Amino acid sequence: MTDNKKKGSLQGMFWTWVVLTAISIAISLWAPGRFMPRSMSGSMHLTILTIVIFSVAASPVAAGVYAAMVHLLRHNIHRGNDVPEAAEPVRENAVLTTSWVLASTLLTVFLLVWGLGALSVDDGSNGSNPLVVNVTGQQWLWTFSYPGTNVTSPTLVLPEGRTVDFRITSEDITHGFWVANMGVQVDANAGTVTEIHTTPNKLGGFDIRCTQFCGLNHAFMVTTGNVVTPAQFSKWLATQSQLQKA
Amino acid sequence: MERSKAFGTALASILLGGGALALAGFALASAAPHQAALHCQETSPGNCTITISSYPDALAGEHGTTGGAHPDWVSYSNDNLVVPANTTVHMTIDQYDSGGALNNSFFSKVWLNGAPSTATYQFPSTNGSTYGKVQTLSGWDTNDIGHTFTLRGVPGNGTPIFVSVPLPADPSTNGSAVTIGSGQYAKPVIVNFTFKTGSKGVYEWNCEFPCGGSREGQFGYAMSSYGYMSGTLSVE
Repeated sequence: MTDNKKKGSLQGMFWTWVVLTAISIAISLWAPGRFMPRSMSGSMHLTILTIVIFSVAASPVAAGVYAAMVHLLRHNIHRGNDVPEAAEPVRENAVLTTSWVLASTLLTVFLLVWGLGALSVDDGSNGSNPLVVNVTGQQWLWTFSYPGTNVTSPTLVLPEGRTVDFRITSEDITHGFWVANMGVQVDANAGTVTEIHTTPNKLGGFDIRCTQFCGLNHAFMVTTGNVVTPAQFSKWLATQSQLQKA
Repeated sequence: MERSKAFGTALASILLGGGALALAGFALASAAPHQAALHCQETSPGNCTITISSYPDALAGEHGTTGGAHPDWVSYSNDNLVVPANTTVHMTIDQYDSGGALNNSFFSKVWLNGAPSTATYQFPSTNGSTYGKVQTLSGWDTNDIGHTFTLRGVPGNGTPIFVSVPLPADPSTNGSAVTIGSGQYAKPVIVNFTFKTGSKGVYEWNCEFPCGGSREGQFGYAMSSYGYMSGTLSVE
């Protein structure tokens, strides 16, 4: 390949990389909002933000790989049965290898620091007067009880803006308590109570699913929840308490 | 030549893959409820009645008089219930089995259409010769349950259909009072309740009393197989 041709093909690879990076960043910014469940808590907001940040950060790397692939397929395919000429090695190209190692290191350190920071955020541990909800999984239903009251329900009702302290267990085998809209997912283990906090910050309905395969009706171990205003929650609790007194 | 070989290999792979998928689909479809549909009988516009039974074995229901593959497994008489949409369903369950303790007392309470409610119960005497008065109850002793009929709602499907009704253990000890199929049983506890259906859909129901033997937290065997302690309610 002549120097001019080589220069031209590398320029082509650069512009392919630029275009693919732009497309990937656009998808990274658009797709989570379109396909992820609606955020109803700080932890879910952080989860979605983390996915966006990680996808954007990974975009130039992924685009680099694809641009190189396109470049090689366009310019370096060998036809015929003779042995091809050895390509020019890049391992001795100090600028290229140093930039690659440096960029990869910086990106990895950034993702590590962000990830550790996100993991350390406990959505609700600072909330005063948390609402305790005992969550019990059993084949193949969830039940929710509210300590201090006589109320147990097959659906979950939560007040907006108040920290919820879920205490999760199982009556039989391992289940997975997953409230996607709140970024809550934790195993329900028999004989063990696992605690997790969240603070609902949006009104509306959501689904609760089991994420551990637990037998015949695992796929139907789904129920609904609803975040209501504190006044509506108090009213619901009082009504249920009255109904369940009998 | 090489191209046609590659094409042939690709075609064979696609056909094999498609065949494997079709086989898996067929196997899954075969595992779904397959008993004859039991339709809710209309008694007046907007109302219908349906009756099923719970047995200590599989000798009296849809498995036939031989009891099918597992004659000793507890069973409901039918696993394929069909009811009309937007209708009040009057359901009767004749409960022929003994019982024990639930592992979650929630299921000792009557829930209809997603709210605490009541059902009527009629118990046979110990010797099975007479029946007591009809009692309206909101639940039963959590340590004396035979089975439950628990019907799940489907999220986002409008009307809450969640139903859970405890079926008390049969107090009658005269085990040969009734012959159904090739099974002999004591007189049953008769349980009646009413719920409303909403939009069309297929809902799953099962028993929540741990009556499936020693596997999977006593939810194995009859509890983990269609045609015994679980089934579907199709709203059409």
